[in-house]
Amino acid sequence: MTFSLLHATDFADRLLYKIIPPLKAGMIVLADRYAYTAFARDATRGVDRQWVRDLYSFGVKPDLGLYFRVPIEVSLDRLMARRVKLKFYEAGMDLGWSANPVESFRLFQGKVLEEYDRLVDEFGLEVIDARTSITEQQRLVRKVIAQHVQTSGVETIDDELA
Amino acid sequence: MTSSPETENHGANGGIQSGRYYGQGIPYLPLDSYPGKLIAIEGTDGVGRSTQIQLLREWLEVKGYGVIETGWTRSELMQPTIELAKSSNTLNKLTFVLLYATDFADRLEKEIIPALKAGFVVLSDRYIFTALARAGVRGTDRAWLRSLYGFAIAPHLVFYLNVDVKTLIGRVLESRGMDYWESGMDMKHGDDIYDSFRAYQNKLLREYSSMADEFHFSVVDARRSVDHIQDELRKQVSAFLEPAEKQPEPALMR
Repeated sequence: MTFSLLHATDFADRLLYKIIPPLKAGMIVLADRYAYTAFARDATRGVDRQWVRDLYSFGVKPDLGLYFRVPIEVSLDRLMARRVKLKFYEAGMDLGWSANPVESFRLFQGKVLEEYDRLVDEFGLEVIDARTSITEQQRLVRKVIAQHVQTSGVETIDDELA
Repeated sequence: MTSSPETENHGANGGIQSGRYYGQGIPYLPLDSYPGKLIAIEGTDGVGRSTQIQLLREWLEVKGYGVIETGWTRSELMQPTIELAKSSNTLNKLTFVLLYATDFADRLEKEIIPALKAGFVVLSDRYIFTALARAGVRGTDRAWLRSLYGFAIAPHLVFYLNVDVKTLIGRVLESRGMDYWESGMDMKHGDDIYDSFRAYQNKLLREYSSMADEFHFSVVDARRSVDHIQDELRKQVSAFLEPAEKQPEPALMR
């Protein structure tokens, strides 16, 4: 619960300082992760799904939500290739499902991916196959965005949502 | 709040049983019928809650109960963060509400639920009603607040120490004086701390009163002397605890 509420607090702070002002100014905000991350992660940690959705009801509904989907093994390979140690919470070590970080990651993130799949339908997320090359993904992303948003004459800012 | 055995489990919030979650609760911490009891003492700033709690605690311990206290923003996890955030000017009403909720969640999981499991009497100095009142007067959506605190446990008893603003002002000035947050200076009623305190506390008191029926407050007139108030609290607490304690007592006598 505290994990969930702390992230919601962080989100509220970013929303009010970093997201709403540029939206009011007519800018495009690119959010690296959004409330959907919390929906997937918190539900996997055993927090009530409806409660988390109600909690985040102060958030702005994005005009477009992109979900980059990869199978768990691909995600693990990519992470292992560039860093030695998996992060404690990212691997869901707090849940005590496995003492082995890699195995815990596989179990935890596997469940998280299942939650994301629910969200795709519930929130109409656009799924991008993230197994393909960066260039291919980027072309697809641009196509999807072009369909949804009139991009001429707007500025962008970058804010990462951890 | 009545204390007869037939009604003792039907405390707060229209049909929600005392000792149960108000809403969806915490799914990974299902509540059984724990032996402990949760007693909340509510009331605005400076009304005399901590004095009453200290006296109640001593009295209960002499009677042989295990007692723990818990209080608003006292969680180990959150206290430093909340103090830091209050001292800067970056807090807005939403992050304020969420920090309080995080603090409460931490104490609920780490202090209150384990103590109830172990059979303690938990004396809570303020409960979620303070959060609901403070956020309510600041314009946060009341339905959203109630859903947010759906993970809270309905206390077995909620005492609301009721006072009028005039008496409150006298007491606060006699003791430690008015502070920024308790005077609602963030609500920008004006630069004068006295006027702001009066306006803000008036609104808070109205907000508390409006919850009295919804959450089955036992309203205690806090304008009286410390001893008078304590007598009334003890009377109600023993009426509630004693029937529940009748079973083990003969065994202890033998």
